[in-house]
Amino acid sequence: MKATCPEIILRQEVLKDGFHRDLLIKVKFGESTEDLQSCRLLIKQSIPTGLFVDPYELASMQEKNMTEAVVVSDNFNIEAPSYLSKESEVLISVRRDARCTGCFHAFLPVHYRYHRPHSEDAETLIVVSSPDLLMSCDQEFRVLECWAQAEVAAPCALKSQDICQWSSLQYRLIHKNVILRVPVGLTVHTSLVCSVTLLVTILCSTLILVAVCKYGNVSL
Amino acid sequence: MASRSHWGAWFPSLWVHPACVFGVAFLARVALVFYGVFQDRTLHVRYTDIDYQVFTDAARFVTQGRSPYLRATYRYTPLLAWLLTPNVYLSELFGKFLFISCDLLTAFLLYRLLLLKGLEQRQACGYCVFWLLNPLPMAVSSRGNADSIVASLVLMALYLIEKRLIVCASVFYGFAVHMKMYPVTYALPITLHLLPERDNEECHQSGHSFQAHLYAFLKRLCSRAVLSFVAVAGLTFFALSFGFYHKYGWEFVEHTYLYHLTRRDIRHNFSPYFYMLYLTAESKWSFPLGIAAFLPQFILLLAVSFTYYRDLVFCCFLHTYIFVTFNKVCTSQYFLWYLCLLPLVMPLVRMTWQRAVVLLMLWFIGQALWLAPAYVLEFQGKNTFLFIWLAGLFFLFINCSVLIQIISHYEKKPLTKRTKYD
Repeated sequence: MKATCPEIILRQEVLKDGFHRDLLIKVKFGESTEDLQSCRLLIKQSIPTGLFVDPYELASMQEKNMTEAVVVSDNFNIEAPSYLSKESEVLISVRRDARCTGCFHAFLPVHYRYHRPHSEDAETLIVVSSPDLLMSCDQEFRVLECWAQAEVAAPCALKSQDICQWSSLQYRLIHKNVILRVPVGLTVHTSLVCSVTLLVTILCSTLILVAVCKYGNVSL
Repeated sequence: MASRSHWGAWFPSLWVHPACVFGVAFLARVALVFYGVFQDRTLHVRYTDIDYQVFTDAARFVTQGRSPYLRATYRYTPLLAWLLTPNVYLSELFGKFLFISCDLLTAFLLYRLLLLKGLEQRQACGYCVFWLLNPLPMAVSSRGNADSIVASLVLMALYLIEKRLIVCASVFYGFAVHMKMYPVTYALPITLHLLPERDNEECHQSGHSFQAHLYAFLKRLCSRAVLSFVAVAGLTFFALSFGFYHKYGWEFVEHTYLYHLTRRDIRHNFSPYFYMLYLTAESKWSFPLGIAAFLPQFILLLAVSFTYYRDLVFCCFLHTYIFVTFNKVCTSQYFLWYLCLLPLVMPLVRMTWQRAVVLLMLWFIGQALWLAPAYVLEFQGKNTFLFIWLAGLFFLFINCSVLIQIISHYEKKPLTKRTKYD
């Protein structure tokens, strides 16, 4: 990268706790943000198998103008466990953040899938990879040539079907990649759980059977 | 006599005309629907159930002439999407008003069934209040949940059987089974209930041989009432199934029937089997354990059918309670399936009101003890699986205690005004 190229910083954060989280991606442009008024930014985030995005939730959030995102892959089951799911991709539109100059952010609600139980660890890790930052400008900018590392085809606008050529920008990721911890069942408990469950259910059903025979009259 | 403190004893002192009670119940539900509209627009957490959105989206596909199964997680009969097409043409609130009306129809059928059993108007109304002014069915219907449709179909079938209009009852029963699979368990008690009484002469002649008994039983099975019930219900169910299969293909069978029959939701739910099935989901023990989980349910349902078939309503209540309690998947939605029959069972159960309140509190405590670790797991991400499992077992134990108390305090004749008080 040339010494005169201003830097783009990208940061991924995860908000909230539990199975329902919010992925927040913050982008900060070092300089030349006045030129970027005519440009559009898009984030292409790959969603690992351990997570899923609810397209209907996205649609209702779009109506409330909270975020604008579209799931690119189709035919995924939002109820399947992680080992029966595939990776998917989401395109999120990036909005200007009024809190600082040259700041933008993108927001996506994600949910955990159920994971395979583990023999020892009570938690499994999900790694969220770094996204592609795409930019498309109406005019030519020199600084764009500085940042652009590849050409990517993506919809011109999230609501339209037309495909445009976007430039994938080089950026520096601050902090490590997001790692999420999912609680999973412990297989060391399997024999205990199975035996106690079956014992209790058989005991309870026997008690009910005894009550039925004692207080009711079985006849035909 | 213990009947003095029976919960039904204080009803005669309250006299409100049934129409008033129904009117208040209707207004309360309508108010909740409009409150729901307000909450949906202003707060982030929606009042309306996510399922209602699913129904409306599926109805939209139907109005465009496409399959409702294009909507992900639509696992219901196309009939429901068809019924809700006015959601798209008229207003999104149509469905909720339909569910509220079915709720009130359920209460009306409860009232008529109680009158048929020999209760007085004010007593019957008193028991119906349990459903009419109960916040749980109120909230469930106004949130857009379709269970009230199945409840009203089931109660209509039971009411028509009591009136001996077997063919009509069978049609409603066929529709009920098509919409939700759980009423299929009522087939055995209904069949036994419709059997003609055993001939005394036949009894003496047949002696004690098993073959003779079996032959006599099969002969009774071929009575007109039983045959017409089986034939008409079967015809209704298969006509609906083939009709929709012809229109929507295998997707219809998969989402409407197979999903519910083979449903093994390994996500946390009230079922005592949840953790066991989650841990063994991919092991070779998964299938045998599934059968082991099915057997108690099956044996209990058989035992209850052969014991209580003469009192059909009580039998169906026990059936559904056992079915839900011992099922591999159990969510709070399922509780309504037996709660809608509880007002019919209450006059038959001779229990002091103190005992009834204790059982009710235990039932709520059981759910609360499950909801706490489930909340911590889902919204705080801590590993509370063992606690959820133990809470599930404890809730099973509480449900069994309630069941045993109901069975042990059951009397065939309801407590009516004619029963003398000391």
